[in-house]
Amino acid sequence: MRPLTEEETRVMFEKIAKYIGENLQLLVDRPDGTYCFRLHNDRVYYMSEKIMKLAANISGDKLVSLGTCFGKFTKTHKFRLHVTALDYLAPYAKYKVWIKPGAEQSFLYGNHVLKSGLGRITENTSQYQGVVVYSMADIPLGFGVAAKSTQDCRKVDPMAIVVFHQADVGEYVRHEETLT
Amino acid sequence: MKVNREMKRLYVGGLSQNISEADLQNQFSRFGEVLDVEIITRKDDQGNPQKVFAYINISVAEADLKKCMSVLNKTKWKGGTLQIQLAKENFLHRLAQEREEAKAKKEKSTTGNTNLLEKIGGVDFHMKAVPGTEVPGHKNWVVSKFGRVLPILHLKNQHKRNVIKYDPSKYCHNLKKIGEDFTNTIPISSLTWELEGGNDPMSKKRRGEFSDFHGPPKKVIKVQKDESSIGSLAMSTRPRRVIERPPLTQQQAAEKRTCDSITPSKSSPVPVSETQKLKNLPFKTSSLETAKKRNSISDDDIDSEDELRMMIAKEENLQRTTQPSINESENDPFEVVRDDFKSGIHKLHSLIGLGIKNNVSCHDSDDDIMRNDTEYDSGDTDEIIAMKKNVAKVKNSTEFSQMEKSTKKISLKNRENCELSDHCIKLQRKSNVESALGHGLKSLNCKSPSNSSSSEDADSASELADSEGDEDYNAMMKNCLRVNLTLADLEQLAGSDLKVPNGDTESDGPETTTQCKFDRGSKSPKAPTCLRRGRQCIHPEEIVASLFEGEENTCGKQKPKENNLKPKFQAFKGVGCLYEKESMKKSLKDNVASSNINKDQNSMKHEDLSIIPMEDGSPYVNGSSGELTPCQHAKKANGPNYIQPQKRQTTFESQDRKAVSPSSSENRSTNPISRPLEGKKSLSLSAKTHNIGFDKDSCHSTTKTEASEEERSDSSSLTSLKKSPKVSSKDTREIKTDFSLSVSNSSDLSAKGKHAEDNKKRLAALEARQKAKEAQKQLVHNALAKLDGHPEDKPTHIIFGSDSECETEETSTQEQSHPGEERVKESVGKTSGKLFDSSDDEESDSEDDSNRFKIKPQFEGRAGQKLMDLQSHFGTDDRFRMDSRFLESDSEEEQEEVNEKKTAEEEELAEEKKKALNVVQSVLQINLSNSTNKGSAAAKKFKDIIHYDPTKQDHATYERKRDDKPKESKAKRKKKREEAEKLPEVSKEMYYNIAMDLKEIFQTTKYTSEKEEDTPWNEDCGKEKPEEIQDPAALTSGAEQPSGFTFSFFDSDSKDIKEETYRVETVKPGKIVWQEDPRFQDSSSEEEDVTEETDHRKSSPGEAPLLEKETTRFFFFSKNDERLQVGSDLFWRGVGSNISRNSWEARTTNLRMDCRKKHKDAKRKMKPK
Repeated sequence: MRPLTEEETRVMFEKIAKYIGENLQLLVDRPDGTYCFRLHNDRVYYMSEKIMKLAANISGDKLVSLGTCFGKFTKTHKFRLHVTALDYLAPYAKYKVWIKPGAEQSFLYGNHVLKSGLGRITENTSQYQGVVVYSMADIPLGFGVAAKSTQDCRKVDPMAIVVFHQADVGEYVRHEETLT
Repeated sequence: MKVNREMKRLYVGGLSQNISEADLQNQFSRFGEVLDVEIITRKDDQGNPQKVFAYINISVAEADLKKCMSVLNKTKWKGGTLQIQLAKENFLHRLAQEREEAKAKKEKSTTGNTNLLEKIGGVDFHMKAVPGTEVPGHKNWVVSKFGRVLPILHLKNQHKRNVIKYDPSKYCHNLKKIGEDFTNTIPISSLTWELEGGNDPMSKKRRGEFSDFHGPPKKVIKVQKDESSIGSLAMSTRPRRVIERPPLTQQQAAEKRTCDSITPSKSSPVPVSETQKLKNLPFKTSSLETAKKRNSISDDDIDSEDELRMMIAKEENLQRTTQPSINESENDPFEVVRDDFKSGIHKLHSLIGLGIKNNVSCHDSDDDIMRNDTEYDSGDTDEIIAMKKNVAKVKNSTEFSQMEKSTKKISLKNRENCELSDHCIKLQRKSNVESALGHGLKSLNCKSPSNSSSSEDADSASELADSEGDEDYNAMMKNCLRVNLTLADLEQLAGSDLKVPNGDTESDGPETTTQCKFDRGSKSPKAPTCLRRGRQCIHPEEIVASLFEGEENTCGKQKPKENNLKPKFQAFKGVGCLYEKESMKKSLKDNVASSNINKDQNSMKHEDLSIIPMEDGSPYVNGSSGELTPCQHAKKANGPNYIQPQKRQTTFESQDRKAVSPSSSENRSTNPISRPLEGKKSLSLSAKTHNIGFDKDSCHSTTKTEASEEERSDSSSLTSLKKSPKVSSKDTREIKTDFSLSVSNSSDLSAKGKHAEDNKKRLAALEARQKAKEAQKQLVHNALAKLDGHPEDKPTHIIFGSDSECETEETSTQEQSHPGEERVKESVGKTSGKLFDSSDDEESDSEDDSNRFKIKPQFEGRAGQKLMDLQSHFGTDDRFRMDSRFLESDSEEEQEEVNEKKTAEEEELAEEKKKALNVVQSVLQINLSNSTNKGSAAAKKFKDIIHYDPTKQDHATYERKRDDKPKESKAKRKKKREEAEKLPEVSKEMYYNIAMDLKEIFQTTKYTSEKEEDTPWNEDCGKEKPEEIQDPAALTSGAEQPSGFTFSFFDSDSKDIKEETYRVETVKPGKIVWQEDPRFQDSSSEEEDVTEETDHRKSSPGEAPLLEKETTRFFFFSKNDERLQVGSDLFWRGVGSNISRNSWEARTTNLRMDCRKKHKDAKRKMKPK
């Protein structure tokens, strides 16, 4: 468990910023306490200072996880968001996509969101913009990347992919062993 | 007319209370012949008659009845509205009628059938009878299902020698009755083939020809039957046994005998019914039937009782037999359940033969009991008993010990039975059993029958109690027939089976010499019967008169009834009566003999009475027969013994009038008395019975009851209550031992031993319970003591801990933790202790609660926090409680270090955050400066915005500040407000000063001259001027008025006041101004007057002071104060004053004008500003 290097921080922040934009600093600079990111087993954990201190007592090889896992760094040092970060990102998400109930299951099984399943989308969503996927009942379902801008979405045919799937709540079931 | 008359039963309702039967009779006699009037009055709880109605039996013609109804119905008669309705016939009448009808029917059916069969030759082979009833006059032909008469087949098994009996009445369930439909049938003549009938009887019978069936079937069945047919029923049974016995081993024989014994019970009902019909005919038939049945049963019943029972159950023909089977099944569990059930079972199993016999006998007895309801079966029971006795004799002779055991079992059974039946009955049974035991050595045979008889007696007694009258009737009616049957059987049995023991028993009695061998034999069976009834005396007497045997049965029946009515002793009497009755019935010789016997007994009784109560019984018995004495002794002994348990179980208390157990001696005394009385009674009764007859027997019993009511009560109390039993039982036992044989003693002893054992067990159980209770109490005590001790300890803890704060904390924590543990511990203890503890705990808890949200001093500061953390980490376990010891002494250094560390960490985090923010900024490509500023600002904000934690000491400062500031502000505001409101206060001061001045003024007026008064006045004015700018009026008029009030009062007149203030200055010398002011104010208070007066005084200072001195003073002015008189002058100054008044008015107008002008000017000046 160690603090992120600046590079790692940058990579991670860049990634997160795609979803929540300027709200990122709200995560870093929280009014309710000191929160920090820690890297452990290539995974980035977001935790409060207290938990961090508590976890400091545990040797690294025995520590499985602490706080909330935001994602992990790949071998190529790219950051990949995990669905576990959804709870922190969803409230700050700038661009959202709501999918129809019929497409929820498809998305939760790891499929991309087609236009036919697109129920609603934040305007001005640019292409490849990170979005948080909501159900029509405003329940966050996962992350995605807008495959088309809002404008394009209108023109595209119903079967075209609108949102690329990145993480969804179904992973809690599907990837239970890797979600720590 | 008479022909048309019918017996009607009328219900007459709505009668007045004071109506009499004669009235009703007169009233209704005009319509018909009034046979009976029965007035019934319903009463409520208090006994007030609510409803009166009557039943009238009237033989009336239909027309008359209608007339009666129309005339009398709903008419008022003697204060009531009559309501006449037809009532149902009295149930007694109905019952009698039904019985008559039933009799008639049966007679008809039997006679008719026989006639038909005999005359017509069996054309009508459909008999309407219960399936299984045998066709009268035809052996082995039975009415099967649907009334078809079919033969009983006896099939020989080739290999086994067994003869299997096929009774169609049992196996014809597969038969169906085919409705006769002759429409399509072809006449027999036109049939293509003919049955080759042959002339053999079977074929003829198939054709329905019953003419010549008599001979062969009988012979086919058994030779024995022929004998039986020749002789009496007893004969038939006898030979069978004789035949059966030899080939079988003892056990088998026993079983068979049991079977036999059962069979008679089955057969018994039939004769009874027959007896009802016709006395002569039924006997033969019944004998035949019984013989057949017995045979069949004996054939069918191969081995075990169970099979027998099953067979019995199967026999639906005999309802009574089914009942016994049920009874048996019921009885078995009872036996097991009861006292010493283990031993009982063991015995039963071990002594199969005997046990079975006993059981069978018991069952039979039960059956008999069931039958006893009608009492028809007594004869049968006698037979059964006789049979049993025979069997028992055979076995008993060999096995005495077993018999004893069986008797014990029986006694157990009896106990069980006793619970069910009345106490008297129980006693009788017991006595019987015991008597059997006593005899047991002598005549074991008697025991089993006696047991059965006793149980029977008990049941019969209970049942008898229900319908005594009817039973008596029936018994009387039936006795002859039954007696004949039973007597014959018994005699025959006895004659053939006469055994030594019986003879011995009889020989014991002094009268045995008179008795014949037959008598002895009969005695043995009789004895059991007698035993049933518990009146052994009867038995010997009966034995004496062999002829009386039949009568004995009746007597037995009657006796139980009597027993029900009376206790045992009474029963004896009843027996005597019965004997007498029987004797009446039979020949005079018998009577004489019985009377002699009775006399002898009586004499014996009298003699014995003098000796001892118990002895009385024994002598009585002795007089009658040797057997009786032991039996009685046994009865007595057993009676008490059994009674004791019964007492425990049942509530004898109600019956225990006399009787408290201690009064055993009294009981004894009563016993002897009762006995002599009984003896006398028996004598008297015997005489009476001789005179009267059968019907009088019941009367005798009643008469006896009258005469012996006292005795009864005594005896009943004795018997039922069994007060004497405990004590007297022992005595009786002892007496018995003296009188009776050693055997009886042994039996008694055994009974006693059982009792003693039982008592011991109970005592032991009681002791154990008491011990357990004591142990519990002790536990409670201990727990309580501990509880009491605890609170003491606690304070010590607290005191100890109070030395240092930390320790106090520890103690508190300990207390907190302790209570839980204590609770757990105490939970084992008692609730009361818990309560105490809980209360303490609660108190402490409450304290804790109060303290909970306070930061304890120990936990204040960093060290404190650490301590708290430590404590919290280790939970509430005492062992791991973290005391202050765990805190290093150099807490300050640590704190510093911690602070340093923390600061370092914080710095690191801050740096991290900065970096992160920087990254964020770079990522977001936001202006660094802004972001940094923002970040810094955020950080600052974060620091500034303190996350308020009430538990943190540091934050307490914030609390205080916040609290103080608002307080200060409030105070300031208050001050401001006060300042703003100070004006009224100022006025108060003004007012106060004025009051003081007034006092001075008064004083001055009193003691000083005008000048002096003037000066104060001036002074007042002078003071007023500077101080009171606003109200001069208040000075003068409102001297006593509250300032605030004055203010509000004068607010509306503030302008005037202001003007006046000016005036005051100007008009100071003038008094008029002062006079007018009050008018302006319109204040009507006295004070104003007073002020005016004062003013007046001032105006006329010279007079007032002098006057005042003279007059008695009130507060402001004195009585008859001259000032008041002078004051009027002030208001009205006469003519001279008018001038001044005019001038005053002119001046006032001017002044007003001036004031208004000035006011307007002032306003104008203000407006431009």
